Amino acid sequence: MFLIRIVCLFAVLCMAACDRLPDSYPPPEQRPPVERITPGPDAMMVSMQGSDAALAIVKDIYPNINGIQWRWTKQQPTVRILVLSTAGIKYSADFALWDDAFKITGPLELSFLVNGKLLDKVRYTTSGNKHFEKLVPSGWLIGNTDATLALAVDKLYTAPADGAQFGVILVRIGLKP
Amino acid sequence: MIHVIPILFGALFTVATAWSLGMLLLRKRAVSLYAWERRLLAFILGSACLSEIMFALAAAKLVHRGVLVALGLGVIAYTIYSGAFRAAGKAFEPLAPLWRWLFIATFAAFTWYSFFNALAPEHSSDGMAYHLSEVFIYSRAHGFPRITTNVYFNLSQGIELLYLFAFDFGRHSAATLVHYAFLIALVFLVLCYGRRIGRPAVGVAGAIFTYTCPIMLRDATTAYIDVALPAVLFALFYLLQLWDENRDPGFLLPIGILAGFGYAVKYTAFLAVPYAVGFVAWKLWRARKPLLGPVLIVALLAAVMVLPWMLKNWVEVANPLSPLANRIFPNPYVHISFEDSWRAYLGNYGLTSRWQIPLEATVKGGTLAGFLGPFFLLTPLALLALRFREGRQLLFAGLLFVCTYFNNIGTRFLIPMVPFVSLALALAIANLPWLLLALVIANIVACWPGMYLEYCDGGAWRLDDVPIAAALRLQPEDEYLSQDPDYRIARMISSVVPSSGRIFSIGIAGQSYLQAEALTGYQGGPNEIMQDILWTPIALGFQPTRILKFDFPERKYRKLRVVLQGSEPRDQWSISEIRVFDGATELQRDSSWRLTAHPNPWDVQLAFDNSPVTRWKSWEPAAPGMYVEMDFGRPQPASSVVVESSWDNINTKIALEALGADGQWTTISNHPMMTPRLINASLRMAATAELKARGIRYIFIRPGDYGADDFAKYSTAWGLTLAGEANDSRVYRIR
Repeated sequence: MFLIRIVCLFAVLCMAACDRLPDSYPPPEQRPPVERITPGPDAMMVSMQGSDAALAIVKDIYPNINGIQWRWTKQQPTVRILVLSTAGIKYSADFALWDDAFKITGPLELSFLVNGKLLDKVRYTTSGNKHFEKLVPSGWLIGNTDATLALAVDKLYTAPADGAQFGVILVRIGLKP
Repeated sequence: MIHVIPILFGALFTVATAWSLGMLLLRKRAVSLYAWERRLLAFILGSACLSEIMFALAAAKLVHRGVLVALGLGVIAYTIYSGAFRAAGKAFEPLAPLWRWLFIATFAAFTWYSFFNALAPEHSSDGMAYHLSEVFIYSRAHGFPRITTNVYFNLSQGIELLYLFAFDFGRHSAATLVHYAFLIALVFLVLCYGRRIGRPAVGVAGAIFTYTCPIMLRDATTAYIDVALPAVLFALFYLLQLWDENRDPGFLLPIGILAGFGYAVKYTAFLAVPYAVGFVAWKLWRARKPLLGPVLIVALLAAVMVLPWMLKNWVEVANPLSPLANRIFPNPYVHISFEDSWRAYLGNYGLTSRWQIPLEATVKGGTLAGFLGPFFLLTPLALLALRFREGRQLLFAGLLFVCTYFNNIGTRFLIPMVPFVSLALALAIANLPWLLLALVIANIVACWPGMYLEYCDGGAWRLDDVPIAAALRLQPEDEYLSQDPDYRIARMISSVVPSSGRIFSIGIAGQSYLQAEALTGYQGGPNEIMQDILWTPIALGFQPTRILKFDFPERKYRKLRVVLQGSEPRDQWSISEIRVFDGATELQRDSSWRLTAHPNPWDVQLAFDNSPVTRWKSWEPAAPGMYVEMDFGRPQPASSVVVESSWDNINTKIALEALGADGQWTTISNHPMMTPRLINASLRMAATAELKARGIRYIFIRPGDYGADDFAKYSTAWGLTLAGEANDSRVYRIR
């Protein structure tokens, strides 16, 4: 009898804790349109310091050494970028022209390409840090697909020690809203 | 070496407490037992009682070390004081020297091999993934926290509660040793049975067949529970045989307890209850004796062991039989689709034919995760034991306890029959002692680890070395465990995710060493929804790319619903969004609306949240009559309804119905206009934002997981930052 009472008591206690699930609900909090949920202004930029940069690099960029912020390029460094939005998007690149190399190559002409199309061609007559930025025609980009961004150098510096060839020192490249 | 002391203490203290409880219970009962039978049965019976006590403590959140020490010491002290340890019992006749020394030598050799494996740091797959993960969580919470996101927590955990007792003192390895103690008890109980029926050679042979069985040894040296189960079932069988011999009503109490404890150990042993009740009823009916009282005692005691688990599930996940029977007890925590796919996988394991099972389960073991040993290929010969009464009893029980096998064809699920078949086979050839001896020796040779490595599959789950240094902690535990990639990953995750953090994964292991709460995609209804959300940005088939529009003459409606008219057993119906328009203006969803659905009403809001990455799904095969319903609270003018859904064909077989003034639903339209929609925005960030809204701060992705490359390549677009990496598996933090 004692045992039965204990079992009954336990069952009642358990049922007292039961929480009947509702079968109808009010509308939930409304989510903002997906276009407004963006990962930030740098989401379409590739930093040469990041460990994941290798996943975005298509060609002509040397591997990162000891986590430094930049990488040497070859003739036509190219990266793949996921296009998150298409309106008012600018091609953006931060790079440098090495003084010692520049003394040998002289002024350089750089072509900036989006999906193989020439966006601009710029002639650099001095060495040092450079920044390039230009609006990409909206028809050139398709949302939620990869775009390739390239930077073609007309002349390469050849290292006398091993014959390796270098273009520019690339820091960041990508698209910006 | 000193680190071994708490491990051994935890295990021995648990075993001693259980044993004492059993000795107390058997003190004035079952006087006809031999001394060894009493000791062995007392441990298994006491384990059932200790497990039940631990359930009560866990339910009351009283699992503290001090409480356990007081409980254990109190029980042991009272047992000593009561004289239960001195309970009388006859001694068996000594074994013949040949059989005695054969048993001693075999037992010593295989114990040398297995004991150090049991003592070594625990890193078994399921042990880490859930048996000890549950224990770890309960230990930190001092009882049962409410967990609705892991189906494994809904299974009965009778043995895990014993592990919980041991774990508080000796952590993971103490739990494993408790499991190992069940194997030892089982082996000696099998030996006793042979002696009890007057065939000691059969007992020795049966004990050796049981103990040397490779899957038994492998399983018992981990924190799994499979070997505890046959120990419980064989003890139940043993007690029923003893009761049948002398009809001592004192046996009915342990019989009832053990019958119910089978269910508490593992769902598949639910048949122990009808077996015990039926056995008692049948024997009494045949003897023309009153059967109601004894049957009620057995049934009620079994219910006392079974019901707590059912009640726990009923309260926590609204299904007493969870994770099964979700069609009978629909709930948001375990989807019917999960149950169906789980059953389908476990009944198949990727084998092309069931005729592959005998060789796979006895010799190869690569696909079915372990092997019984070639001796068990002789199982059909056990039918020769039918000529003996004991043989018939053994074979009936063995067959009964394994008849659920085809629900899960892993070799582990054959373990319940091992002691029964071992004894039956030995009995079948008992009249040819030379053949029995030859078979025993052949089996010992075939089951010695150095030998079975010659014939089993390379990937078969087995023992293959004796990790003495690791077992004695001469090799640091962390160093030994770090050989296991799952452990390394758990360590990496623990180093980057705070213990209060919640991490979502497609698949994860090693949780018994993980402080943070890990939610795995397939392991619960809410998790499956998060997995669906996470895959929507990368799986085009999940995205709302099909627009179905119902146009109709404008009028006022109080209730509208979209009804499925077709069926597709392999597909689920899903709706990403439903929008109602009056002309070109969408009706604003306000709080007076009430939304419901059949089935799965609990997720109906996902079709009204304006998010393209969430969707209401049936989570069971699509069938006519399923609906999603809107009650506007008052009549509202409407002229069109738009249903946004994925490209699955089933989603087009829909109609729009309205509730008329007569209370009848009438079809407004069953020909929606279909248009495709191109989604050219990335949905990735919206998906991670949904997970964040559900309390997830971290995502764990293995290299083989669906979408792993996309997470790595576009981590910025997902709004993720790499937090840690091990074995090519990555933890991302949601920004």
